[in-house]
This record gives sequence, structure tokens and C-alpha cells, in this order.
Amino acid sequence: MWKYQKTLEYPVNIKNPDPALAKIIISQLGGPDGEVGAATRYLSQRFASPCREVQGLLTDIGTEELAHSEIISAILYQLTRNLTPKEIKESGFDTYFVDHTTGIYPMAASGTAWTANFIQSTGDPIADMNEDLAAEQKARLTYDNILRLTDDPDVRDPIKFLREREIVHYQRFGEGLRMITDQLDAKNFYAFNPSIDKPKA
Amino acid sequence: MLSEKQKLLRRLQAARFAVIEINLYLDSHPTCQEGLRYFREKRAELESLTKEYEEKYGPICASDSDATDRWDWVAGPFPWERGES
Repeated sequence: MWKYQKTLEYPVNIKNPDPALAKIIISQLGGPDGEVGAATRYLSQRFASPCREVQGLLTDIGTEELAHSEIISAILYQLTRNLTPKEIKESGFDTYFVDHTTGIYPMAASGTAWTANFIQSTGDPIADMNEDLAAEQKARLTYDNILRLTDDPDVRDPIKFLREREIVHYQRFGEGLRMITDQLDAKNFYAFNPSIDKPKA
Repeated sequence: MLSEKQKLLRRLQAARFAVIEINLYLDSHPTCQEGLRYFREKRAELESLTKEYEEKYGPICASDSDATDRWDWVAGPFPWERGES
């Protein structure tokens, strides 16, 4: 179970609304490598994990991703406040506005709504951990792309924090993969699914 | 310009971040004595900052509320507002 803390993990205080930028950053909420997918992926996969350390990593990183989806949502909320109809039309935000006004809806910048098709939970911890390593890299590069597209320091600051977290999570998942493989036959790590084919040690 | 509330919150966020980070590290290094020491140190710092913050600005978790006359959880702003984080 979870307990909500009424503070952001990292501060978000944006002076200047910028709906065009919100339309891009929304990908890190509900896009293919966004935070909603990350939380859902890890919190689903942890049940198939064969060791407590990796169960802990998936639980705790999955929990941190929930806090990150709140940070992205706060960025979107602050970038889209006090807009005039003219600003909405001229920024290209009108195509989002017509369906969602300025509500927070998890979708990709390219238009696809968030879908569980973005993620996997295979029941095989080696396959899952490799997906998680790739997911952290893909999220990191999406943040790099966002940083290429804005020079607003109020936006760049929390985005840089989130980018850094992807790198730390990648390191931790690398250690998790090593722990799982350490328990297997070094001559053939992929001979079977350790979560279903072999009794737990 | 940071408000007094934000200045205290920055210290709390820094201590909590240290706790989050060392938690993840200890998940994959559960016997690291230096890590365990760091966790205890940062958790104590976070507990004292949380107490100070909640006394001034209300509960961080709803279940920490000491409210008697009015439910203070919904008296203060939520953290996505500008100036509240």
C-alpha cells in the first residue's frame, strides 16, 4: 500500500506559461517511455522477481516513478495556466485543449493516449530486467530531447533532475540483473525462466 | 525569492532525497555498513525536519494530522501550485 506525501519530490515553480512546451513534455507523462508507464511497468513486474533485492528495487523505483509522474504533471499544470483563447490557438495547444481543456491526461506528444501496449511484464525476470534497463535509457534520451527544445531555466531544472534519476535507476537495475544472473548457471543464463522453471533457493 | 515555507521545504526535500537515494542503494547493497550509517543519519535529519515543517505548515501525510476542530489536510494548498514546492 502507499501513503501520499503532500510535497513534490523536487520543486517545480514555473514563471512563464508555455502551452507549446507542455505539448512536448506531456510525452514524459503518458508517452511510450514516460513516467506513468515506468511506474506501471515496475510495480507490475515485481511479483515475478525471484529475489528480495530486486523485489525491493522494483517496488521502490516504481514508487519513485509515481512521484515523477506528479512532477511532470505539475510542470504541465503550471505551463498551461491563465491561457487566453488566442494563446491556445497560436501555440498549437488547441488540439489538446478541445478534448481535455487544461486537465492532465496521460498521452504521447505525437498524439497516442497512454496504453499498456507501451510496456511489458513477461513473468521472466531476465527479460523484464533487460526491458527496464532499456526503459531507463529511453526515458533519459527523451529528457535529453526535451532539454534540446527549451531554454527556460524553470523547466530545465526539474527536467535535469528527472534525467539524472533515469541514470541512477539504470545503475540499480544493472545491479539487479547481475543479482538474478548470479543465481543461475553461468554457462547458460537463458536456459529457463528462473521464476517458473526452478524452485526458489 | 523563496518563502520561509519553501526554505524549510528545500531542506526537507534534500534530506528526503538522500533517504530515497540510499534506500535504492541499500536494496542492492543490503550489507554495506557505510550505507546503513548514512541511512540512519539522513532518516533522523528527515524526521526532525518533517516535525518542524508539520508544526508550522500542517501535515505532509493525511494520517499525521492532529486536527481537532477542522481537518487541516485540506486547509493548505497542494504542492503542484506555483510557489508551493
